[in-house]
Amino acid sequence: MKTRHLAACAVALGLGLTAAGAPRAQAPASPPTPIPDLAGIWDGTTRARPVNSESVPWGKDNFPELNERALAYQKVFDEALSPKYDCQPATPPAIEYDPYSMMVVQWPDRVIFRYEKDDQTRTVWLDGRQATSRDYAIQGFSVGHYEGNALIVDTDHYVFDITGFDDYNGIPSSSLKKIHERYWKEGTELRATVTVEDPMFLKKPASYTTRWLPQRPGYQLSAWDCDPEAARAPVKMMPPKYK
Amino acid sequence: MKLRHGIWMGTALVAVAFLLRAVPVVAHHSSAPFYDATKHVEAEGPVTRFLFKNPHSFLYFEAADASGQKVEWQVELGPAASLTRTGWTPETLKPGTVIKASGQPSRAEGSHGMCCARITRPDGTPITAGGRYTEEQQPPK
Repeated sequence: MKTRHLAACAVALGLGLTAAGAPRAQAPASPPTPIPDLAGIWDGTTRARPVNSESVPWGKDNFPELNERALAYQKVFDEALSPKYDCQPATPPAIEYDPYSMMVVQWPDRVIFRYEKDDQTRTVWLDGRQATSRDYAIQGFSVGHYEGNALIVDTDHYVFDITGFDDYNGIPSSSLKKIHERYWKEGTELRATVTVEDPMFLKKPASYTTRWLPQRPGYQLSAWDCDPEAARAPVKMMPPKYK
Repeated sequence: MKLRHGIWMGTALVAVAFLLRAVPVVAHHSSAPFYDATKHVEAEGPVTRFLFKNPHSFLYFEAADASGQKVEWQVELGPAASLTRTGWTPETLKPGTVIKASGQPSRAEGSHGMCCARITRPDGTPITAGGRYTEEQQPPK
């Protein structure tokens, strides 16, 4: 038994050495696929696009079809409920369209989006890691990859947000919200198509496409430092919906 | 020389028009639930406080209301991040500076708020000496 085992080991070792020593057929070296250069500080102010509102970027052509649950939420929605009046930051698909600048940093294993609005940072992991049940967060969990000249970003693991669809229409988003983003350069501009799906509230996915212009040389993102007093101050100017 | 004078005049006119325009409330919330765009209100008095902050800046000043009683007005302005781009600073409106504001009145009963306001000195001249950075609207292609 012992002898048979030793013989098997010797054969295996011999085969291994032969395989290691044999000349290998070299596959023609293909040049590494260049990744699109999206890095920089991008200007999303009125130089680049109209300011967001009840009908921008969600207008008559792309306003989402709401299900009964979303319509019921809209009916009872009270603007004073909105957590932005206590400095809770905006999330996708709204934060991309806020009229401020953002910085994009590309590292080998991640892309970092830094938003001037609300001091938010989103990390998009490119290394194949997957979200766990501990990764629920206000900005969700993002993974991405490059596809041709574009960066593809998929985000889920969002927490429930009473105004998680946008800042204007009283549409919430659930922990089923998924955001699909495609970023690419067109000339000197950065463009993105942002698609949101949330079967808890939307009958089907909805999307918009927008752009940023390169910020002027030397521009630095400024700290947002949301002030709680200033955030809540407008609310007392509104007739209360509920007493 | 004549051409240079013309260019200077044109630039000055654009700058004045820019400084006199209503200070926008930008992109944090809709103004409609808070302010009545179909009405107009005007008041004049000394600044009591200037809150130069994000997500909105606020200007507070004292003036008489319709019944002649002194009240504190709260004028909602854009976020500091946007005002900075148009040359405003936390020092632009110091307490005691007398200003005139006209804009949309707030909706809540008993409130004295204003938005989308045009703010000048009492004689109508602009508050700030010059804008450092202007934005030109370029809709997406």
